[in-house]
Amino acid sequence: MSREGPSLEHLLRRLTETPSLFLDEPLIRKRGKVDLAAVASDLLLAIGGTLPTLKEANAFQPAKLAERNPARLLLIACWLLHDDWFVQRAELLGPIKTLLAEGLHELGNLIDAELFVTDPERREELVRLVLDALQLRPAGESPNQAADRLKSLDSLERERVIRASRARAEAERARKLRAEMEAREAREAAAKANREW
Amino acid sequence: MHAEFEARKARNPLLTEAGWRMFRLLHDHADAPRWNYQVGDRLIAADLPPVAAYRRRIAEQRPRWSPEPPEWLVRWLEQLRAQVPLFRQRLPLGFNIRRDWGYIETMQREDIALRIEQLVPQDADLSRLIVYETNGTSTGHALDVPNHPASVALNHPLLEFALAQHGVRPEFSAQHLACVNLGAEARTVIFPNVFAVWNNAGFAKVNLHEASWDAERAKRFFAQLQPEFLTGDPIAFAEYARWGIDYRPKAMISTATSLADALKQALQARYACPLIDFYSTTETGPIAYSSAEGEGFSQLPPDLWIEIVDEAGAPLPPGEMGEICLSGGRNPYLPLLRYRTGDFARLLPQGTPGDPAPRLVDLQARRPVLFRSLSGSPVHPLDIAYVLRTQLWLQHELLQRADASLRLRIRPGLGRPIDQDALRAGMAQLFGALPLEIIEDSQLGAHRPGGKVIAYRSELPEIPPAEGIS
Repeated sequence: MSREGPSLEHLLRRLTETPSLFLDEPLIRKRGKVDLAAVASDLLLAIGGTLPTLKEANAFQPAKLAERNPARLLLIACWLLHDDWFVQRAELLGPIKTLLAEGLHELGNLIDAELFVTDPERREELVRLVLDALQLRPAGESPNQAADRLKSLDSLERERVIRASRARAEAERARKLRAEMEAREAREAAAKANREW
Repeated sequence: MHAEFEARKARNPLLTEAGWRMFRLLHDHADAPRWNYQVGDRLIAADLPPVAAYRRRIAEQRPRWSPEPPEWLVRWLEQLRAQVPLFRQRLPLGFNIRRDWGYIETMQREDIALRIEQLVPQDADLSRLIVYETNGTSTGHALDVPNHPASVALNHPLLEFALAQHGVRPEFSAQHLACVNLGAEARTVIFPNVFAVWNNAGFAKVNLHEASWDAERAKRFFAQLQPEFLTGDPIAFAEYARWGIDYRPKAMISTATSLADALKQALQARYACPLIDFYSTTETGPIAYSSAEGEGFSQLPPDLWIEIVDEAGAPLPPGEMGEICLSGGRNPYLPLLRYRTGDFARLLPQGTPGDPAPRLVDLQARRPVLFRSLSGSPVHPLDIAYVLRTQLWLQHELLQRADASLRLRIRPGLGRPIDQDALRAGMAQLFGALPLEIIEDSQLGAHRPGGKVIAYRSELPEIPPAEGIS
């Protein structure tokens, strides 16, 4: 977080004012409305990039339904980054490309995208996450303040802790399940008699 | 004798003296087939009140069509989400289940075959778990399906409801043989049993195959024991008629594969009883029964939500043909979230005069495929599945061409090679010396929606559906 970015309040307000277009369904295999590849390409062009090749643009396009929520989050992030403060800084083009390509996927798999507009904590998390990815911090905050606040809001970190604590129990549970399913008695009891009617 | 009675209670904990007499009557009958297995319902007293409650619920809460997921389903998913790893993946935190339902990624057989631990709720009690082995005869995925005796017992009132809709009310007492399940396979387990949910009424699973029985003894067995109704697949019912068994039950329930109209009419003409076609799978239990009035199949359970979806998993409007997709269910180890069955139909919101439940019409499910050996005798897909089970595979496709030659495409599992010699030996036992080509294909089904393949296909001329029925 080497540099000061725009003010937190400004970006939070921008998120609350996300136009419906950016909350519409992303186009996935003929379903949905919004062409994410076009939206992302527009943003990169606005920041000073060249027109992406078809292959580069299509990299943003979700290919399957499972990518829907990350794609929705990406649309919201595109709106956020279309703010003049970012658009006027061509040096951010590279980091923004990287952020759009890989920086939000994990979060998009975890939390429904709409919450990053409607829920105050998630809104702040998204803003801080985006700034952090661009090596920026909210205007008026020290690097330590910004880092502490991001850590306290970090859903991914919280999920990692939960997953780590769950992992051993789930592995043990899976082992027990396999053992129960292999047990002779369990199989004998279920010889086809009434399972389908 | 008392020691045997007590020993039997390990499998039938609610066995009564009268039930034990019924069991012995079946087990020791002079014309019984050669029983080769022992199985019980494993129900305990605490399991019975929920069955009674479910019986009332089936009658009182008939399913109704709705364009969005019903309230009970949303609540059920919200409760399960924290406990089911796959649900956590499919439903991000804050996901709007009702509004965004159609965007939830669909489940498929592969999820059950390869990731069952992701589906069993973390807090589910595993102490009474039982396992059904399916052979993947329709869609090519062998499955081990965990279940619970108490939830399997709920299938009984579902069957009762379907029978009642067709005007059939069997006697369920320890003095009656409630049901005989017919098979016609070279290898299968057969056993007598009693069911506590039916007051210790008798049940028998038999096999109409010369390996375990013969027609004359079977005729006497049915004539003397007079089962209230019969269940079985269409091939077994055709065999029942071909063996010349005259006994007329109160109803015949056809399960497992779809029943051709011509066979249905021939059986009804010969046995003069309702022939109820059941749409059911091991993964889901009963789904629908052939409507007593009007065309198609009426949805049976009140705790299952049926959608028709397109290839991408998007819900289709009522009346459009698409894949049957199910959510909910009663199996505590296998909660279903948009589970693609691999079967296709149109969903009609309107019920029939006797049952307001929505109906599936033009159902294309589990069409029976009959293969022929070199000598011309029929080979049942279940017998082929037994041979295939000796190998670790994910999916397979078996084709018998018009010249009777065979082609087996098989997708090995977990990187283990297929033992082709063992497969050839097993297939030769069933088919004789017919040409057999085996192709190992690690990508089989990988590029098809839901990973579905057509497991069994025959280009032989069709066997007349009413073969052997006079």
